[in-house]
Amino acid sequence: MPQKPTERERCVTGIDGLDSILYGGIPRSNTVLLTGSCGTGKTSLALEFLIHGAIRGENSLFVSVTENSDKLLANIIPYRFFDKSLVKAGRLVFVDLPIMYERLGMTKAELSEEEIELLVAALGDLVEELGTKRLVIDSITSVCYKLKTSEKIRDFTLKLSKALSDLNCTSILVGEVAPSSSAYSSFGVEEAIADGIVLMANMERRGDLLRTLQVIKMRGTMHSRAKYVLDITSMGVLLVPLLKGGSTG
Amino acid sequence: MTPEGMSAEKIADELSETPPSSAVSLQMSVDNYLDVIRGVLDLFARKKEMDTIYVSATISSDAIKRVLEALDIPSDRIYFVDCISHIMMGGSIQVDEHTTLVESPTMLENIMLKVEYLIKRSQAKEKLVVIDSINSLAIHNNNWILSEFLHILVSGLRSKETYTVILSVEEHSTPELSNMVNLVCDHGIRASEKEE
Repeated sequence: MPQKPTERERCVTGIDGLDSILYGGIPRSNTVLLTGSCGTGKTSLALEFLIHGAIRGENSLFVSVTENSDKLLANIIPYRFFDKSLVKAGRLVFVDLPIMYERLGMTKAELSEEEIELLVAALGDLVEELGTKRLVIDSITSVCYKLKTSEKIRDFTLKLSKALSDLNCTSILVGEVAPSSSAYSSFGVEEAIADGIVLMANMERRGDLLRTLQVIKMRGTMHSRAKYVLDITSMGVLLVPLLKGGSTG
Repeated sequence: MTPEGMSAEKIADELSETPPSSAVSLQMSVDNYLDVIRGVLDLFARKKEMDTIYVSATISSDAIKRVLEALDIPSDRIYFVDCISHIMMGGSIQVDEHTTLVESPTMLENIMLKVEYLIKRSQAKEKLVVIDSINSLAIHNNNWILSEFLHILVSGLRSKETYTVILSVEEHSTPELSNMVNLVCDHGIRASEKEE
């Protein structure tokens, strides 16, 4: 008799709509590329994923590449479910990657092969040391700008993804694309390596601009591939189905 | 009571007979709007200590607040999703804990999102969502998308055990609109009809 495939453990995002879309959450230890153009809500969604993790007792780490941690923290305070004690207790940790670059002596505009190894090892060590179960890197695109070539980006993303997966850490890599882009990542490499792709976009319909979310792929689970409209509120990210009667495409 | 229609008390009585999570179509005439407001918001929802989420697509939330004030109906448990003030562009719009704006009545998904947000935020055991009105939404949306909106909204509210009341104005209704509302509602009240 054929054996029923074993269901993979889920990392419940805590974002109701997204957990429904993913039939219960992100498969544990997946690396997900959360991609979209500016102003689509990527950072808000990623932060909420971490806060819910911290509330559930999972150590959560936000690696900020472009924005200062203090500024980010100021942005999440309006969330009603956010409690500053999560940060004080070390459940929710913010790290600025430029400070890590500095400490690792990575001062040049382009990282060498050895420095890539060193960066992956440093991130892995940090995750292990903190007992991190949820990680966000915002944004992976900014890291990739320091890698320059497709080969180096592929090498870095693959090694990082494997290191995090081995540590049973569920990760979201925030990617940035131009609003007109049909690709899921700026360098075309990150999307091929990620276990999942969640695309966030602005969609214009009859002059109205709607924020949308669509799960393009997610290894290890069935999922909806439909487009959803989202709103960022003090109760978190809310999602409803995009009404097809008025869809333009 | 207006001579043309049902009294506010009768409207509230009929609503009280419906079980929680019901969707009710409430057809009114232009002349008995005030009785409907009193019956639904004051005699029904307030008496039952419900939080009311009022989706206003016909007149602005400010105008409805003035009506409530004139009728001496407390509005501390009424939260507005105002879909009309923004497109009217008529000066300053007051946004507070009780008023959420949707840019346009064509943004039906955003109406659903604001309703969802207010439901999540509410601490009340029982909640009521009022859509005022289907006729106004029909001015800005085609029947396909409006029908889809109603179906998703009402199904979602039902699963959250929330009452839904969909207002329609008899004088402005079409058979298509009536069918659309009847399809998602469990009960119908014709507030425009004279009491026996």
